[in-house]
Amino acid sequence: MLKKTISFIAICIALPFMILYAATTGSIEMSMLELVKGLFFESNDQVAVIKDLRFPRILVALLAGATLAVSGVLLQAVMKNPLAEPGIIGVSAGAGFFTMVMLSLFPTLFFYSPFFAILGGTLSFLLVYLFSWRSGLNPLRMILIGVAMNALFTGLGQVLSSSGNALLSSISIQTSTLSMKTWDDVETLAIYGGIGLVLAMLFYTYCNHLGMQDKTLRSLGFNVNRARLVISLIAVLLASVTTAIAGMFTFVGLLIPHIGRALVGTDHKYLIPFSALLGAFLILLADTIGRTILAPIEIPASIIVVIIGGPFLIFVLRRSERIYGN
Amino acid sequence: MEINNIRFSYQDKVERLKGVSTTIEKGKITTILGPNGSGKSTLLSVLSKLNQPTHGEIIFNGKSLVQYKAKELAKNLSIVQQTSVAPEDMTVEKLVYYGRLPYQQMFKMPSEQDEEKVNWALAKTGLTDKKDALLSSLSGGQQQRAWIALALAQETPYLFLDEPTANLDIFYQYEILALVKELCETDGLTIVMVLHDINQSMQYSDRLMVMKEGKLIAHGPSEEVITKELLQEVYGIQVMMKEDAGIGKYIVPVGPVHAK
Repeated sequence: MLKKTISFIAICIALPFMILYAATTGSIEMSMLELVKGLFFESNDQVAVIKDLRFPRILVALLAGATLAVSGVLLQAVMKNPLAEPGIIGVSAGAGFFTMVMLSLFPTLFFYSPFFAILGGTLSFLLVYLFSWRSGLNPLRMILIGVAMNALFTGLGQVLSSSGNALLSSISIQTSTLSMKTWDDVETLAIYGGIGLVLAMLFYTYCNHLGMQDKTLRSLGFNVNRARLVISLIAVLLASVTTAIAGMFTFVGLLIPHIGRALVGTDHKYLIPFSALLGAFLILLADTIGRTILAPIEIPASIIVVIIGGPFLIFVLRRSERIYGN
Repeated sequence: MEINNIRFSYQDKVERLKGVSTTIEKGKITTILGPNGSGKSTLLSVLSKLNQPTHGEIIFNGKSLVQYKAKELAKNLSIVQQTSVAPEDMTVEKLVYYGRLPYQQMFKMPSEQDEEKVNWALAKTGLTDKKDALLSSLSGGQQQRAWIALALAQETPYLFLDEPTANLDIFYQYEILALVKELCETDGLTIVMVLHDINQSMQYSDRLMVMKEGKLIAHGPSEEVITKELLQEVYGIQVMMKEDAGIGKYIVPVGPVHAK
């Protein structure tokens, strides 16, 4: 209980500081005090630039982290598998590929790319589900089929982006860069991602129940399939919209829930909000490092996430006695 | 509960139940006996609607079992299944609260009645002291009692148990059987269970159903059902029938019946 409280307090303190640090660091630098002053009390040209360019980027990073981490939590609950993650089982790849296809066919429908992404993500997930269902869910088979689906959609996406179409190359869904994000992107991601996050919190009991065996739940009159469907759709919504706006991030949905379980336990009432906060922190940290460490060269946030995340996950797993799902 | 000519097969089309008909008497302990693969557990799963029969009908409280909604059935019939597993960090109390799931509504906190029933179930199974303990930290016998407590929290007049004594030390086996008997006699529950041990079945049941290869070979009051000839036919073993003033009839297995 104490560990849980400390973890929540720590992230609630760390996150605002990270945001302030990210906002004041980079090609334009200023003190945190100057920034706050410029925002609320006096007009300052540099602050105006930060507001237009850096704030959307920060907010997209935060929202992407929160949505992907929660999407990972939900998929792991549905699949009873610690490896389930939108970037691994093909949801993100499906969302990205479908968006690219639709935009290359109907370039004027750019505004609807979140819808295409959700459609693609759902399609990919349904395929994984259908192919792995054989009178029950075998977690291992499901992951393998997810990996195969991911490979397929990633490959198809690469074919499209190397086809020389200028528009598609500019969408660059394959690797994520968070540069050039606008307030419109923030708005889209905040609306869809926000809905997804609220739904995830509303249905947290479903996630807890899904930890029980199907046979137990069924004998309690609980509609297991409906719960799976609801949670899956929320997870797909979260991951797809983020892929459409911020590009492909693997690993966040895998790393964050594992750290979350080690710190706040497996009760989704705490795990979902904590993962959202920690995920937001991680991607913002990664993006800030990515754009400052070798400035003016930018390293994509998704690459920094993997570089920080890989060793960290090994560390967490070495320290914990049990692995979730076993 | 009326069972009329039930047939059942899984996707592999091999018929596991080949026309079972009988009646489960209210307020009694009925035990299903039979060798491995004779369809005991399958019958229990069909009776509790976890599997749908391919033929036949089950009438439960005057209504066909297929007409029951899942939640409604869960308020009338609970089942303790074989080898149930819960997540690692499940506490006993949390587990027992799952028994209230059929009564709870989405987005609502557990009611006073939920709490009352959970406490009753914990007390009944002697787990009140252990309610905050992790399920995984308990002994096999205590874990089995926790699963029974979950079923009791469902507040159902019918309780089914699938091999409740499997993999338990002999002390815990009898502890569970004594609990089951008490639940029937003092709380008026109708019990249907699957057991392996013939002597335990005779000692703790009012009625027996003996199965072999998906068919019901014999059913009726415990003392009448078990005979030398029946055990020879069903299990292929030779036994001596004995009688004790305290526990009544019991068997002593002698050895296999050799093929002529």
